[in-house]
Amino acid sequence: MEETQITPSLSVPSWSSVSTHDQSSTAGQDSSTGPQPSKPSVIPPPVKSKGPSSGAGVRRMRRIIAEDAEWSVATVPLLTELCIQHIVKNFQNNPILKQLLPEHQKKVLNHLSPDLPLAVTANLIEDEKYWRRCCTQRWPVCHVDEHGGSWKRMFFELHLENLLRHFIPSTTDPEVILNLLPLCRNYVHTIRVDQFLPPVQLPPPLRGGDQSDSGREGEMEEPATDHYQLGDLVAGLSHLEELDLVYGVKDCGMNFEWNLFLFTYRDCHSLAATVKACHTLKIFRLTRSKVDDDKARILICSLLDHAALEELDLSHNLIGDRGARAAAKLLGHSRLRVLNLANNQVRAPGAQSLAHALAHNSDLVSLNLRLNCIEDEGGQALAHALQTNRCLTTLHLGGNKLSEPTATLLSQVLSINTTLTSVNLSCNHIGLDGGKQLLEGMSDNKTLLEFDLRLSDIAQESEYLIGQALSANREAARQRALSPSHFMSPATAKGPENPAG
Amino acid sequence: MNPPGSLRVLEEKEKEHLATPILEPSIHSDNPQERIQARRLRIAARLEARRREALGEPLDGKESAEDQSKSYKQKEESRLKLAKLLLCGTELVTNIQVAADIREVHRRVEEEEIKRHRLEKLENEVKTSQDKFDEITMKWEEGKQKRIPQELWEMLNTQQVHCAGLIEDKNKLISELQQELKTKDDQYVKDLKKQSGDIFLLLERMEEQVKNVMKTFRQELQHIEKAFEVERRELLTSNKKKWEQALQAHSAKELEYLMKRLKKVEDHEKQLNKQRTWDCEEYNTIKMKLEQDVQILEQQLQQMKATYQLNQEKLEYNLQVLKKKDEESTVIKSQQKRKINCLHDVLNNLRSKYNKQVKQLQEENQSLTSDYKRLVMQFKEMQKAMRHFALVDDKQFREIWLMNEEEAKDLISRAFDVDRIIHTHHLGLPWTAPDFWFLKNVGPISQRQRKSATQIVEEVLMEAEEEGAEEAASEPESYLDLPKQVSVKTTRKILMLLCDESGFLVESKLLSLLLPLDKNECYLLKLDAIFSALGIENEDDLYKLVNFFLKYQAHHSPPSQEQTSLISPLERLDPQGEKEGCLVDREPQEKQPPPSPRLIHPNDVLKILEAFVMGLRKPRDLRSPVKLLKAVRDHSKDSEYWKALTTVIPATTLNLWDALYTALEKYHLVLTQRAELLIENSSLERQNTELQQLLQQYLDSKINSELQVPPTQVFRVPTK
Repeated sequence: MEETQITPSLSVPSWSSVSTHDQSSTAGQDSSTGPQPSKPSVIPPPVKSKGPSSGAGVRRMRRIIAEDAEWSVATVPLLTELCIQHIVKNFQNNPILKQLLPEHQKKVLNHLSPDLPLAVTANLIEDEKYWRRCCTQRWPVCHVDEHGGSWKRMFFELHLENLLRHFIPSTTDPEVILNLLPLCRNYVHTIRVDQFLPPVQLPPPLRGGDQSDSGREGEMEEPATDHYQLGDLVAGLSHLEELDLVYGVKDCGMNFEWNLFLFTYRDCHSLAATVKACHTLKIFRLTRSKVDDDKARILICSLLDHAALEELDLSHNLIGDRGARAAAKLLGHSRLRVLNLANNQVRAPGAQSLAHALAHNSDLVSLNLRLNCIEDEGGQALAHALQTNRCLTTLHLGGNKLSEPTATLLSQVLSINTTLTSVNLSCNHIGLDGGKQLLEGMSDNKTLLEFDLRLSDIAQESEYLIGQALSANREAARQRALSPSHFMSPATAKGPENPAG
Repeated sequence: MNPPGSLRVLEEKEKEHLATPILEPSIHSDNPQERIQARRLRIAARLEARRREALGEPLDGKESAEDQSKSYKQKEESRLKLAKLLLCGTELVTNIQVAADIREVHRRVEEEEIKRHRLEKLENEVKTSQDKFDEITMKWEEGKQKRIPQELWEMLNTQQVHCAGLIEDKNKLISELQQELKTKDDQYVKDLKKQSGDIFLLLERMEEQVKNVMKTFRQELQHIEKAFEVERRELLTSNKKKWEQALQAHSAKELEYLMKRLKKVEDHEKQLNKQRTWDCEEYNTIKMKLEQDVQILEQQLQQMKATYQLNQEKLEYNLQVLKKKDEESTVIKSQQKRKINCLHDVLNNLRSKYNKQVKQLQEENQSLTSDYKRLVMQFKEMQKAMRHFALVDDKQFREIWLMNEEEAKDLISRAFDVDRIIHTHHLGLPWTAPDFWFLKNVGPISQRQRKSATQIVEEVLMEAEEEGAEEAASEPESYLDLPKQVSVKTTRKILMLLCDESGFLVESKLLSLLLPLDKNECYLLKLDAIFSALGIENEDDLYKLVNFFLKYQAHHSPPSQEQTSLISPLERLDPQGEKEGCLVDREPQEKQPPPSPRLIHPNDVLKILEAFVMGLRKPRDLRSPVKLLKAVRDHSKDSEYWKALTTVIPATTLNLWDALYTALEKYHLVLTQRAELLIENSSLERQNTELQQLLQQYLDSKINSELQVPPTQVFRVPTK
């Protein structure tokens, strides 16, 4: 203990006059020189630190010092802050992001303006907040859920959609879209376009509203109204899964002309090739585009044996029996899960071929034939097919001029089938007897959850009873969905009570 | 429009449901059925809800056991109610769509009907107009036949009227169609308006549905919360009751315990007093005893103190000494430390030096090894070259030798021829061709080939056989290369002995093979095997063996056997005398039949062999390098040989030749003189004949006859 107290005081002279002291000093001192060199080096730091620390303490105690001329309340921003501000300011010319620390990255991203060119930001910024700002700035209503919950994907999809909507063939430069391609190829999963503008004919169709109609009618003979060819774009998008197209013009107002809504054969062929080449496509929708039998056949022909396609929607077109037959063939040559042919002109033969395909199909989950005209023949065929089919869950046959014979067959199906969960027979003339038969079929069914029989001329009593059976089924399905734990016993006890009361 | 399958899973807490419908009475709906249905459902739902609410609250206040199920009931009821609400709402909203659908269906049916009508009408029209047109065209034909202009005019007029009628019909149709189109247009506008109204209605309904659903959800939530709260209150009161009961029971028990405790305390006090008196007595007695003890101990303490002081002094002194020693040791320690530092430095230096040196030496070593390798390679090449050159030299040497020898031999043969001629012709002496060893020699003199041991043995055996037959009719030439010190017989006997005794060295197979063979051959083969086993390879080894046998015997056998002792020195002397001439030495040896081998006891043979093998091994090892040098030729005999070649004609003959030469010279001289005289004589004779001829001529001439005195008369004519 003594040594340690002495050494600091001793060490100072011993360093300066070691040579003189060493010789003259006693043996005791001489012996202590051996360990000394190591000790002074250890001890000085605390001695030194005491001085400044006490001084700093004083400074800290007093926040305002009158003598300090440079002191001011405004704190100087940190160098990192300044750097970040500079980076934000010059981001367009010199994008530095990946090299920064995570917290700095966050700051930079918070301050970046959403107007930066896409070429800079597209592949560099992954931050969702930034893209959220971009989206909310451009569009007032943003449903990010419709774009897989990703703001970046939403931004690029909407941006691309916007470009496509306003693309005028042979007027707009196709490079505008193709230049965007390398930037958005990894982010676009869905293309939803609800209008395709036709090429400009001398007076542009949208803006030239004041031009006389007579001048245009002369040119209507030559239908050079091909729309934008999606081939290049779709080939470049590596993650495209959904294609939702409407070949038509929106908001044309008084400039309406029939040839604004022409889906030409060239359009059809190019679209078919595009769809065929896109192996990632899962959902393909082409609605309200005047697709007739031949065009439907061309399109479906290119979709045969498509590896990924799951949903095909050709509703609100002009597809007849031949188109329906092609669709039936597609059912056998793909793994289609959803087929929508609502509001077309499918009649009994088309429905029969669809029923034939359905009888041997094990992929299709949903079939929609709303507002067609399949009549009892087609309805009976479909009902027969459903006796063997084991995977269809949703069937929509609303507005198909069905009547009692179909209802009889369907009631048999209902008592057998255990996969159907939703059937829609609204707007058909089923009649009182048909309703009774359906009620009989329902009494044996435990799986059907929805059965729409509105405006189908059946007795209110049977409709009400069917409704009761459906609610019982729904209750049972709910119990099945919940884990069969302690909730089970009271629920089952109540299950039968509820419909009765 | 169509809410997805959200109806299936309905939980009360899902307030933010996307649901759309509403309970609003269907005043706006077009279908009366629909309106009735909607109303009915709504009323039923409300009634049920009210009933449940009314029943639920009084029930809550009842028993605590049912509380659990009450809240659950409430939840379940709310859920069902809400599910119904949602279902009805969606139905209400979708009703619009359904209505639109059915309208569309009806429209389509009507449209189809109208279309069909229209088509029929058009077809009828086409038919009638076609008829009319046909009529008109028929009349044209008629008109062509008409000649009278008035009739024609009339007809043309009627035609015109008909055509106008036709056109009028068509126009009527067109105007009808246009009318229809116009009505369609109006209807389209109406439909549009209606649809926009529908959409508006739809939106309104959706909004209201949302509002209503929100409201009902909130209400239900409140109900459920209330139910839970009541349940909780119930629970609280019941728990409080329980708590109070428990408290009362607790206080009663405590009182009881207190009483018991007081009793116990009194008992303990009594006991304590008793104990205290008893303890006091005991204490006094013990105190007396202890005081005595204290006195004794104090005395002892004093003594101990004295010894303690003494020890302290001693220890202090020791401490001092130790301190001094410690100081000294610290001094020494520091010195040692310094020294260690110095030595460390030195060590480090040395280490570095050592490392350096090691590196250097390694490098040197590497360079030297590489040098060494290179040199070895060179040396090998040199050796190869040397061998090659030695061969070439040998060849050359041999060729030159042969050439020279041939030349010399030619000369010698010529000399011999001359000598022979001289001897036979001139001296009339019989001539015998001299027989020298070097004359038979062809090629350079080389050391004799070492014969292999077996060859010698063979020879020995052969000769011994001959000897046996001819009884010491020895042929000295054959012994030129045989043991110079030992006789054949001795050798043979030793070998026979060896062969008999060391049969174990021969393989059994060989023995079986040897059975049918001749005795000598048998021996030979056996010996061959034995020699190969013993490592005897050549002549020298064999002689060594034989010598060894003899020496061994000489050493070990007692001197009483004179014969052996006689022989052994003789044989020892032999090597010295061998060069002078074998002939001289051999004869006495053979005359003294060497009985020595017989005296070697067969039992000793093995010992001798063992000693021999031991001895043989050592020189064998040493000799191997010497063999390499054997290639160096022995030049000593060359000059001798060549000199011998020059002196093939002995000096006496040369002297003879010289003498003969002079005598012959003289003889030659005489002969030449004689020859000269002979020539002279012959010439004189010829002159004589010539002169005689001349004389004859003269005598025979006619002149003589004419002459009075013929010369013939004068002299006597020598007649021939």
